[in-house]
Amino acid sequence: MATTTSQQVLLCPAELAYLHSSLSLTPPIRPDGRTPTHFRPLVAETDILPGTNGSARICFADGTEAIVGVKAEVEKTRGVEEGVEESEVREDEKEGRSEWVELTVEIPGVRDDDGGTAFLSAMLGEALLSDGGFVKRLWINRRWHWKLYLDILLISPPLSYPLPLLSLTTHLALLATRLPRLKSEGVEDPFFDDDWAAAPYLYPRDKKSGKALARPPVTLLVMAVGRNIIFDPAKEELAVADVALAVSVGEAAETGDNDMGGKGRKLRLLSVRTIDPPSRVTPPGVPNATNAAYGAAGTTQKQPEARMAEAEAVEGVWRAPRGGAKPLVMAALVQKTLERGGVADEVLDALEGVDLG
Amino acid sequence: MPLDTSAYSLALLRVDGRRWNELRRVHAQIRTQAAADGSSYLEMGHTKVMCVVNGPSEPGPRRGTAGGGGGGGGPGGVAEVAVSVVVAGFSSVDRKRRGRGDKRTLELQTTISNALAASLHTHLYPHSTISISLHVLSQDGSLLAALINAATLACVDAGIPMTDYVVACTAGSTSTYAANDETADPLLDLNHQEEQELPSLTVATLGETDRVAVLVCESRVQASRLEGMLAVGVSGCHQVREILDQVVRDKGRHMIKEGTVEKGMGVEEMEVD
Repeated sequence: MATTTSQQVLLCPAELAYLHSSLSLTPPIRPDGRTPTHFRPLVAETDILPGTNGSARICFADGTEAIVGVKAEVEKTRGVEEGVEESEVREDEKEGRSEWVELTVEIPGVRDDDGGTAFLSAMLGEALLSDGGFVKRLWINRRWHWKLYLDILLISPPLSYPLPLLSLTTHLALLATRLPRLKSEGVEDPFFDDDWAAAPYLYPRDKKSGKALARPPVTLLVMAVGRNIIFDPAKEELAVADVALAVSVGEAAETGDNDMGGKGRKLRLLSVRTIDPPSRVTPPGVPNATNAAYGAAGTTQKQPEARMAEAEAVEGVWRAPRGGAKPLVMAALVQKTLERGGVADEVLDALEGVDLG
Repeated sequence: MPLDTSAYSLALLRVDGRRWNELRRVHAQIRTQAAADGSSYLEMGHTKVMCVVNGPSEPGPRRGTAGGGGGGGGPGGVAEVAVSVVVAGFSSVDRKRRGRGDKRTLELQTTISNALAASLHTHLYPHSTISISLHVLSQDGSLLAALINAATLACVDAGIPMTDYVVACTAGSTSTYAANDETADPLLDLNHQEEQELPSLTVATLGETDRVAVLVCESRVQASRLEGMLAVGVSGCHQVREILDQVVRDKGRHMIKEGTVEKGMGVEEMEVD
């Protein structure tokens, strides 16, 4: 589990209780007036750095900003015996290995070996690699392959949990990534076309519409408060979350030749991770019944909060959520993300709208 | 690829077609990022850097200095200028990852921090920290100069009082140290290729004065050539100041026109078109 405790929200127990109860209403009332499935607006651009194979920048409305650059190098595949000549390449011979992708996350003011950063990069990498088709794209021939370096930079200070931002930016950068066109054939040493205009995209595009035929996965942050499921939580909302999940969603490979551009996007769940929400370390409120300031008897001991943690929950008094998520809530969270016309669908549609070079 | 310096004497044009006293294209933006107190984006040729300034603010609990009790901040009741430089792995031609403890990066950080601390009015903010984080997106020479210029712009955007802009530029010489050429001309604003081959120095001045704030020279050069290089560098700094000042003025004008800020005192004389 990742800890998000590095982003402390300065809210008092009364404010937390208020937020929690307004978020658990039906329909929930969010501090910024969004509906539960409403994403915050974002500004995105791709191909911003000509020195990279692909790059993207996304700015969220709360001011957080990330830049992703993708660089590719040709590398010799290890463990392949030399001298075996084979002219025919079968499609099923293409294979990929997870070490062909290297992913680093840089967050300002956080150490390289910080646990949270390592968890973030592991989570982003996991989503990419669990879709086995991705590393296959890096295959050149039996002896050579592309090594892809993904450098993810968070430019702004980490205001909210940056996972969705970093994931969406990586998605766009990979869509914009192009690799030089291969000129050599078979197992000979690779030789590339130096015309960049002829370079094909890593994720091939439709010739006419310019839309990508396949897409890299996205990881979304979903949280639950009571029975309500809330997407794209702001940091204040995350501070009262009962459960927070990172759900990675990919597009299922299209089987057969169904009509292009139809409504037939099939979503596939790639991974689910629970995030330790900062709400777990918030201080509990003290009900009037036991508060010495309100004349409660027998509460002269040193730490009323410590005793409170064990006591019964009182309506309107904040208590940090404890224990795991209920299986039903988890199932609902995942289902809500994946359903047709749901949030993942909407996000992928919106990202499709970003003009890709 | 070695730089062919012999061609220079024929047409007096450098590899990228500039003359000896020409800057590369400088493009700058300020207030690029809403969440920070100050931010800027600067391009000097193909060198691209981004800067985000936060503060002056009370230092976070993590950064508590050893003193304890009195909060953070630099010594003597002035604000501490904390600079962090992140060189992106994709910034150079070949991907090279620099860790946070990299000695070159540390030296860049210290140089920038010292230069800015001298120009910013840090005594107005005791027990506080001004944290400047710089991101290098693309490198093509004159990295330190670009970082200093970007940091200055971001500090202007953050509204931290300062004596004047700290503007930086590089200067070099047309022939290598080994050539020992007495007639070598000085060059302004070196790119990566030139920086690899030729002696170069980075100079930062305080605005349009001739007061030098930073002078870094990491290559061997004959002492007789140094004066010429320095003079060219300082004049380059003055040009850079003009450009940066124009960027700040344009942004200010734009913000007044949009009504983001009130027209302050003394702005009446300024032409708002």
